[in-house]
Amino acid sequence: MMWLSGGFVFRRGTSAYHKLDPRVKLLISALMFVTTLLVRTIYELAAVLAFFLVVAAIATVLKRVARTMVFTLMFSAFIFVVNVVFTRNVETSVLYAVRFVAIVVSTSLFFITTSPDELEQVMKTFRLPRDVVFAFVTAVRFIPVMMLDTIQIMDAQKSRGLELDKGNIFRRVRNMIPVLIPLVVNSVVRSGELAEAMESRAYGAVPKPTSLVEYHTSARDKAVAVAAVVAFALGAYSFYFILPTQLL
Amino acid sequence: MIEFREVSFVHQNGVKALDGVSLRIESGETVAVVGENGAGKTTLVKQVTGLLKPTSGSVLVDGEDTKSTSTAKLSRKVGVAFQNPDHQLFSESVEEEMAFALRNFGFAPAVVQQRVAWGLELFGLEEYRKSSPLVLSGGEKKRLTLACILAWDPDVVILDEPTVGQDSIQKEKLVGTIGMLRSAGKTVVVVSHDIEFLWPVQPRVVVMKSGRVVGDGPARTLMLERGLLETARVVQPQLVELYQGLKRRPEEPFVDPLEARRWVEEAAGR
Repeated sequence: MMWLSGGFVFRRGTSAYHKLDPRVKLLISALMFVTTLLVRTIYELAAVLAFFLVVAAIATVLKRVARTMVFTLMFSAFIFVVNVVFTRNVETSVLYAVRFVAIVVSTSLFFITTSPDELEQVMKTFRLPRDVVFAFVTAVRFIPVMMLDTIQIMDAQKSRGLELDKGNIFRRVRNMIPVLIPLVVNSVVRSGELAEAMESRAYGAVPKPTSLVEYHTSARDKAVAVAAVVAFALGAYSFYFILPTQLL
Repeated sequence: MIEFREVSFVHQNGVKALDGVSLRIESGETVAVVGENGAGKTTLVKQVTGLLKPTSGSVLVDGEDTKSTSTAKLSRKVGVAFQNPDHQLFSESVEEEMAFALRNFGFAPAVVQQRVAWGLELFGLEEYRKSSPLVLSGGEKKRLTLACILAWDPDVVILDEPTVGQDSIQKEKLVGTIGMLRSAGKTVVVVSHDIEFLWPVQPRVVVMKSGRVVGDGPARTLMLERGLLETARVVQPQLVELYQGLKRRPEEPFVDPLEARRWVEEAAGR
C-alpha cells in the first residue's frame, strides 16, 4: 500500500511538467511504456531507464519515483527468480526484471503529476462513458483515503494486542483478516453513501453535463508532444537499425 | 505513570504534530486532553501505546520507553478506544469481538468467558451477544469498543473522542463509566472537543494548540480562562459561562446544574 502512496498518488506540483496538458503527459508516458517493450538488451533498457529518471528530475518528482523503484525492486526480484528458474537465462531474466521497474516508472510519472480532475478530462477525451470515467477517477481519488483507513485500522487492532509482523507467512496472512474486514466493510458503506450523496446532487440528471474547466492545448504543449514523438522515433530507429550493427 | 519528555513528532509529510511536549500523568489521574482539530491530541495519545514513536524526546509508560517496547506489550497496560468504531469491528459476533483482544493477550478460556459476560452486562449489550457487531447502531458500536478495551482490565484507559455520535443519555452513562474507572484506580485520559460532558467529572485539563501544551490544570480553574480556551478553540462549559456571567457569585464555579439553580434562586431571594 505504501509504495502506491509514493508512486501513484498525485500531489500538487509547480514544475513545467506538472503544467503540461494531461493528454501530452499521457502521450509521453505511453511512449515511454512502449519503448520499454521495444528494447532488446539490458544496455538499451538501462539507457531508457536513465532517460526516464531525467524526465522525473525535470518534473521534480525524482525522489518519489526513486522511492517507488525501491519498493518495486521486491516484485522485480521475484520476476527475476521466476525467469531464472524457468528460462535458465540470467541476461533475459535481468531484462524482464528491469523492464518491470521501467514500466512502473513510466506509468508512475503520469499518475503522480496528473490530478484526478485532469485524469477525468483525459478519459473524457477518449469519449469513455461518463459512469466509467467517474468510477475510475473516484477510485483513484480514494486511494489516499483508503490508505489512511488502513493505517487507522491497523493501529486499532495493534492496540488490541494483534501482532501483524509476527509468525510465519500463513499466520501473517491470517492476522490481516481483522484489518481487511473493516477496510472492505468501510469501503462498501462509503461507496453507498457516496452514491446517495451524488444522486442527491443531481448526478445523471442530464445526459451531457457541463464542465468547470476546459482544457486547451497550448503551443508549448504541442511542441513538447512533437518532441516526445520525435525522440521516440529516433530512439526506436537507433535501437533497431544503428545499435545492433555497431554491436556486431 | 505516563511521562512525556520534550516529545516532538513530525509526520512523514513533514507536518510537525507535536512540538516539545512535556507532560506527566500520575497513576489514577483523570485527564482531559482538549484542543481544536489538528492540535495534536490523537498524535499525543498514539505515542502512549507506541503506535507512533517520538521523532525526538521520549515517552515513558511505567518507566518503559515506548521506543524500545512493542505496541502489543504496551497495550496490555494501556487500552485505547479509538474515535471510529468501524475501524476495529470485524468479528462474526459481538462476543467474538470482545474475546479477540483477550485471546491475543493469552487469557485462559474461562477468564475470557467471564470477562466477555461482564463487559456485555456493563454496557447493556447482552441481547446482541450473538449478533454481528457490524449491524449495531453507531452508539452501540461505540459502547462495544469501550467494552472490548475494559475487558482486559488495562491500567490506563484512553478514550479518543468518546462522545461522537452519542446521545445525551449515552454521554451521561459515559460519565458514569469514567467515574467507575476512576474509583477503580485507573488512569483515564479522554481526548475530546466536548469539555461540557466532562465538566461533572472535574478532570485535570490539558489544552493543546499546534502540537504544544498551552494550558494544564484542574478543570475548575482552567475552564475560567476564557482567553486561553478561545485561542485553543475550546468552548467553555455552560455552567462556567453562567458562573462568570453572574455579578454576585460563589468562590468556585458550579459543578452540578442543580447546585447552580439553588444558588441563583437563593441569590434572587426566593
